Amino acid sequence: MIASLITTALYAFDPPPVGTAAPDFSLTDAKGETHSPSQYKGKYVVLEWFNPECPFVKKHYGTGNMQKLQEEYTSKGVVWLTIDSNAPGSEGNLSADAAGKVMTGWKTRQTALLLDPEGKAGRAYGAKNTPNMVVINPEGKIVYEGAIDSKATPNPADIPNSTNYVKVALDESLAGKPVTTSTTKPYGCSVKYK
Amino acid sequence: MKSAFRLGAYAIVYLSILALAPHGKSQSYQGKELVKAELLADTDAVVLGKPFTIGLLLRMAPGWHTYWKFSGDAGLPTEIHWTLPAGWKAGEIQWPIPLKTNDPGDIQTYGYQDEVLLMQQITPSAKIDNSSVKLSADASWLVCERICIPGSAKLDLDLPIASASSRANQGLFARWRRLLPQNLPETANANWSRAGSDLRLSLTTTALANYPTVGFFPLPPNNTAVGHPTIESRSGNEITFHIPIQSANKSLLSMEGLLVFGQQANGEDRAAWQITNAAIASSTRSAPARGIFTFLFFGFLGGVILNLMPCVLPVISLKIFGFVQHAGQSRQKILRSGIAFAGGIFTWFIALAALLIALKAAGREITWGGLQFTNAYFVLFLSVIVLVFALNLFGVFEISLPQSATRGLLGWTGAQGEAGSFFQGVFATVLATPCTAPFLGTALGFAFTQSPAIILSMFVAIAAGMSAPYLLLCAQPAWLRFLPKPGPWMLHVKQFMGFLLLATLLFLLYVLGAQRGLDGAIWASCFLLFVSIACWMKGAFVVPSASVATRQISVLLLLLLIIGSGIYFIGGKFRSTKISTGSTQLAGDWQAFTPERLQAELEQGHSVFVDFTAAWCLTCKFNEANVLESASVREAFQRHAVVKLKADWTTGDPIITKLLQQFGRPGVPLYVLYRGKSEEPIVFPELLTRSIILDKLETISHTVASQ
Repeated sequence: MIASLITTALYAFDPPPVGTAAPDFSLTDAKGETHSPSQYKGKYVVLEWFNPECPFVKKHYGTGNMQKLQEEYTSKGVVWLTIDSNAPGSEGNLSADAAGKVMTGWKTRQTALLLDPEGKAGRAYGAKNTPNMVVINPEGKIVYEGAIDSKATPNPADIPNSTNYVKVALDESLAGKPVTTSTTKPYGCSVKYK
Repeated sequence: MKSAFRLGAYAIVYLSILALAPHGKSQSYQGKELVKAELLADTDAVVLGKPFTIGLLLRMAPGWHTYWKFSGDAGLPTEIHWTLPAGWKAGEIQWPIPLKTNDPGDIQTYGYQDEVLLMQQITPSAKIDNSSVKLSADASWLVCERICIPGSAKLDLDLPIASASSRANQGLFARWRRLLPQNLPETANANWSRAGSDLRLSLTTTALANYPTVGFFPLPPNNTAVGHPTIESRSGNEITFHIPIQSANKSLLSMEGLLVFGQQANGEDRAAWQITNAAIASSTRSAPARGIFTFLFFGFLGGVILNLMPCVLPVISLKIFGFVQHAGQSRQKILRSGIAFAGGIFTWFIALAALLIALKAAGREITWGGLQFTNAYFVLFLSVIVLVFALNLFGVFEISLPQSATRGLLGWTGAQGEAGSFFQGVFATVLATPCTAPFLGTALGFAFTQSPAIILSMFVAIAAGMSAPYLLLCAQPAWLRFLPKPGPWMLHVKQFMGFLLLATLLFLLYVLGAQRGLDGAIWASCFLLFVSIACWMKGAFVVPSASVATRQISVLLLLLLIIGSGIYFIGGKFRSTKISTGSTQLAGDWQAFTPERLQAELEQGHSVFVDFTAAWCLTCKFNEANVLESASVREAFQRHAVVKLKADWTTGDPIITKLLQQFGRPGVPLYVLYRGKSEEPIVFPELLTRSIILDKLETISHTVASQ
């Protein structure tokens, strides 16, 4: 039992630091269209790691908190890419079909829900949690990465009393100010990589 | 009668049902039991006022795990919220050493498989009317396998209240207590440094050789994103960890965490040392908030007060005697003497500062009194000086001519004019240094962590303070007029001063005895006897009236006497005496201090008072006699069930030296009251009063009651 815990890290991917160029990737969404951060240069891009089974993700979708954010900022011209990096066969991995159903069922408002079964995009960003949030500026530099908000719990009742770091980062960026809190410790379920 | 019996029987049956009733709750997911949660105590009954331990036992389904205080890259720590009767207290969760798990995608988490017992100390109030008590906890956790499910439970534990209790669930508690981290031992050294925006932790310990696997499990402050610690280098007794810091936290100089050792990673035999904030505070202590000028002022004030300290008193009387002599002379001469006297004080303090800076640069751990009174040879040296001075006052020998070539040891203080005043200044300060006067402790504690320039200015401030009253008296000679006129009575005063010096000598011999035992004090006394004979020879035969031959032979003989007896008694006998440990007699209910002892008492929920003392510290003796051993204070200690520990620094015990430095103090006395494991210790001023002690003891009365 103890021995089964001893697993060696095959990959050592740390998140690229804030201020550096956002790594590029190319993934297909639920409709089969291809998206990459580089094609959205000139716009703010939000990356959100996703797992529909994860209680921390459910916290923000079950209350409509995430949908509200997506709607508010996509209407301001921000590109919002939700990414599922969970490996096939593990919890939260979505087929294109299932992804479409989740989007309609949950009334999500992101630009696209991208499928990353190989975990390429997730590893490039060192994304370890769902949710894990990244904000990229129009120059293609990372301006925020970390948690969605300040209360690391799965309890929806905590949302009204927490600071939403993504909202703050986007508001500051859109107002032309530097981001005050640019790195936080993300919280949530682990991404189930291949 | 019959019904009363039946009632009693029911009560027994009811209580035994209570005792047997399962308190557990379980968390299920899709028909599968994932976590079974239960509260357990290490006692079968509550004794009012006596702390005990309650554990939240989580049993996880195979493959599932819950998390440590720092969960790592994912997960959440388990939380416990207590509902306790009024006046009861729950301590912090004692987290056992977790297992480290690596998942694909470089995801590292810290948690527990199969089972974990999260222990907390519960301190009951001293009074409650019921015969049993219900302790309730809201526990919430996150349990993960490949997926994560939050769980929670409201749990109760009923315990009878009794006058005595016996242990319960011994095996379980013992098993999990073995997995609690230990304090970083004194023999190990942990040092933090910055590596760019990251941190570096170097650990030096001989224990490394026994463990193939060593890891650092971080406990980062809130919202500090920390990467995975890696081992940068490991060789022999030293291992260095690199801890990446991902959030821009420029002020982060160190981090709490565990150093985990084992034969293999996550082994059942794993052990850990905790790096706590207290340990960090001692290694990265920065300048206190109070400004440099405040501390210089304290240094100055401390210097003034030094004049009034018991170990300077005999010298003070000598100085007064000096002023009486000077009162008959011209103003200019008086002023010159005063300035020379101040010069002596300054010279000594500056020399001391220079020595300190040099030694500090050499990287040696030293403290103020440690430089002097913890060193038996320094005490011996001082004894010789005091004795020779006393004999001089008695008139056993005279310093015949100021311009005499023999302006060595013997000539120092007896010399006339400015030179005499100068050496008197030096001498007064030598005697004053071991008495860490109030304020001075703070001032010096500050100085020791500072740059050489600040150390030097601090010592100059002390010197200025100490010499200020004399400079004032000499600048305002009018005040000297109030002093009595010189006359034959002066001879008697002078001789009487000799007895004061002999009293000082007794004190020094007492210190030597404390340091080197009775033998040490006796051998030192033998040497002092020969020094006395040499002084007598000087007085009897090395006089202007004696012939040149007599004088030469006498000088030769007295030198032989000093050197010979020095080699025999000091180089031989005295040197072979053992440095005594625990030299201070532990009277009454005092117990010897060790860091382990302190930790053990705090673990058991006791309050602890530590008296950092030394045989040579008169302020300590004064405090002990007048405050600590006074009836009211003794009674208060007893009433609050405070464990009294004595830390004896007479011989400069390095463990105690380190502790003193942690409190920012260069020497004894130091008095600390630990009210419990999680509370900040209270540090008392160096001059104690009964009311200070009694007031502070009252603050613990509500949490730890007498038994």
